[in-house]
Amino acid sequence: MSELDDSNPFGYAPEIWRLFQRAPNAGSFADDVQGVVSAEAGTPAARSVLRLALRFDGDRVVDARFRAYGCPASIAVGAYIAGWAQGRNPQELSLLKAADLRAALEIPEDRAHCALLGEDALRAVLTRYKEQQA
Amino acid sequence: MPIYLDHNATTPLDPRVLNAMLPYLSGPYGNASSVHRYGRAARDAIEAARVQVAALVGAEASEVSFTSGATESNNLAIKGLTEGRAPTRLLYGATEHPAILEAAESRRAHGWGVETIAIDAAGLVDWPAFQTQSSRGPVRVAALMLANNETGVIQDCARAARMVHAAGALFHVDAVQAAGKLPFSFAETGADLMCLSAHKLYGPKGVGALLVKSHVELTTQLHGGGQERGLRGGTENLAAIVGFGAACELAAAEVGQRIARWTELTTRLETGLRALSGITIFGDGSPRLSNTAQFGVAGWEGEALLMALDRKGIAVSSGSACASGTGEPSHVLLGMGWDRDTAFSAIRVSLGVATTDAEIDRFLAVLGDLRLQVAA
Amino acid sequence: MIYLDYAATTPLDERVFEAMLPYLKPDGLHGNPASTHGPGFKARAAVEAARRQVASLIGADASEIIWTSGATESNNLAIKGALEFRGLPKAGKPAHIVTSKTEHKCVLDTCRHLETLGARVTYLKPDADGRVSPEAVMAAITPDTALVSLMWVNNEIGAVNDIERLAPSLRERGVMLHVDAAQAAGKLAIDLAAVPIDLLSLSAHKLYGPKGVGALFVRRKPRARLSPQMHGGGHEQGMRSGTLAPHQVVGMGAACALAAERFEADIAHWSGLRDALWTRLREVPGVLRNGPAEGTRAAPHLLNLSFPGVEGEALRASLGGIAVSSGSACSSATAEPSYVLRALGRDDETANASLRFSFGRKTTLAEIETVARTVIEQVAWLRELSPLPRTW
Repeated sequence: MSELDDSNPFGYAPEIWRLFQRAPNAGSFADDVQGVVSAEAGTPAARSVLRLALRFDGDRVVDARFRAYGCPASIAVGAYIAGWAQGRNPQELSLLKAADLRAALEIPEDRAHCALLGEDALRAVLTRYKEQQA
Repeated sequence: MPIYLDHNATTPLDPRVLNAMLPYLSGPYGNASSVHRYGRAARDAIEAARVQVAALVGAEASEVSFTSGATESNNLAIKGLTEGRAPTRLLYGATEHPAILEAAESRRAHGWGVETIAIDAAGLVDWPAFQTQSSRGPVRVAALMLANNETGVIQDCARAARMVHAAGALFHVDAVQAAGKLPFSFAETGADLMCLSAHKLYGPKGVGALLVKSHVELTTQLHGGGQERGLRGGTENLAAIVGFGAACELAAAEVGQRIARWTELTTRLETGLRALSGITIFGDGSPRLSNTAQFGVAGWEGEALLMALDRKGIAVSSGSACASGTGEPSHVLLGMGWDRDTAFSAIRVSLGVATTDAEIDRFLAVLGDLRLQVAA
Repeated sequence: MIYLDYAATTPLDERVFEAMLPYLKPDGLHGNPASTHGPGFKARAAVEAARRQVASLIGADASEIIWTSGATESNNLAIKGALEFRGLPKAGKPAHIVTSKTEHKCVLDTCRHLETLGARVTYLKPDADGRVSPEAVMAAITPDTALVSLMWVNNEIGAVNDIERLAPSLRERGVMLHVDAAQAAGKLAIDLAAVPIDLLSLSAHKLYGPKGVGALFVRRKPRARLSPQMHGGGHEQGMRSGTLAPHQVVGMGAACALAAERFEADIAHWSGLRDALWTRLREVPGVLRNGPAEGTRAAPHLLNLSFPGVEGEALRASLGGIAVSSGSACSSATAEPSYVLRALGRDDETANASLRFSFGRKTTLAEIETVARTVIEQVAWLRELSPLPRTW
């Protein structure tokens, strides 16, 4: 029964599985940390909620955190965006679309909504960032 | 060592098939519907078997649904095509297996016109009669077997299919006895549905398949769980399905050599039979399965002969195993127009992959002795 | 790897496998049980011996056991066969069935099918423990009621219905009773000599027997009458045609004999594991036990829990090498929350965040401890990860 490997029993795409298991950048920033912009997407009823917190220094992201409630793919999306955002400016951040997330994490068709969740959360952060700049 | 010459009733499991099944019998593979890894492994094995079964008859894997056996497949075909529809007519060959016969007859209570398709003395469809019958009014489904379980007579299904389709009906083919004994393809038979059984081709008992073309609408007969794309509920019989797949793969690879061997043995058998007096070989002259010979022995009742042979350690049949012990003569032979006495005198010898020249010779010798005893 | 999904399917017991093997080997015991010659007679003798073993587990007579391809077929045959025999449903002749919302999918699907043919079906809502009381059933009976179909033990939550009390009341009213006992056989005492059930479904692969075989008990006195659902050849007293697979029925017979022999040890073992796991997991804040907690009302072999605040798929994935179920295996491929838990009044999110642990003969306390530790850790981790406010 060697083909029955104990890791990844449900057959998630490798990158989803890796990010789900390690969940790098999970958490949030302490209240007194400066330059943090955070926003949320999704609903509990749809069984996926992603909260993204990006810490800006000037117009660059210097740190990022996420929290997620949802399936492994939506947790992986949160971890991926938090890692990817570091060092980028709002213009660059706005280029990340659901399709890019799906390609990067090999998210299957029936989980496309997890990638949309990521795009929505990032867009919500950027909207709030612009509001704060204005 | 007993001599088993009843392979059309059931075959032993090929040891290679058993080896393929063993990990799924004794291993921890789960319910194929479970999501966790064991369930996934089970599902993969079922899909691989589906491909093997499809390949034996040149079908698409997506056309294959697994069932508990040919009886269920035939019931699913006949009832699944007729249930919930305004009744018209349903036709089946006079020499069909009891599963088709009884499933079809059960439709009368639901308002269906149920008619038999005339079969001639040679075991073949009476074509002019069938032409007239099929064009006489609307027909939902016509059912014929590709090879008869008793006589081994092979039907020209492609020809029947043209008439059936011209009548706007669907064509169901019982290929249980033909599979593994005769190369053929699902498409070439013209069938819209076809049933197969594992235990007639060295696979396990308790599993079969119904092949269904994608354009055919069938209502489920086993409700619950949604397995087999909703057509047939129930936890999949994993080991048996794996065994069925393995048996089909072996049959596809070996059918040529099996036929060559059976043809030699059957020639030996029938040469021996013809040397005896009072022997009638049914379907003689018609295309027949190379492993099957059914014949009447004048002065004997088939059941008595069967028992006498059994006491000598030789297992044969007087017809279909399903009808054994009923005291009724073979409905197949009656359907071909033979009289009751002749039908009563029938026994069927069906050869297997391991049958030897010596077994045939022993059978002929014992049969010869038994006939002398009667004569004496 | 720790397998705690024995309520979905059990592995074959080694002794069952040994009993089956001679019928799978090419030499000698491969006959068709319907054949009238030596190999056929041997096969039939094996089939009849197995029938006695099954009958003996449930206090029935061997002649009351009909072989089928599994509990799904048994349930289909019982429900459709009983109605069809009485010529129901038919225009102008109303037919009523009483069942519950938490039956196995195949019973519900069969009932829905009969509804399309004109039958009227009452789907009783269970109480908060998941049980349907005899009083609730009796209150639903009408003069047209042709059949009550109620499971003995629920497959998802282990709720045990009081069939012993229900059956005599139905007998008195002259209403036929079918019981799906797929999860009950070997898990609680069944004595059909004492309990007037008319039809009872069994499955082999839930009690260490092979997949692909089951049985339907059909009472002889008074005679429960059925129309066959599978025609051809007249096997099984005309009630179920088709070549029998001796290796399968021999396996089911051996499994039943083993279950009878081990009955008390099995129950003590399973309920010990269940209670040990619950003792550990009840420490998880907010955890909810689905189904009854109390002795005879709860099946010994399973435990169903909801963990509010975590998402179910992530929870199951986070358990990695632990195979559990999120409800009945038959519907777990779909992402729908369990209809059984919904019928208990759980909301979608809580129903989704549930795990069914079911125990086997080889499950150890050490495994239970590993599972408890892993579940506690992972629930805490997923809750920590979640942005949702704490509600548990």
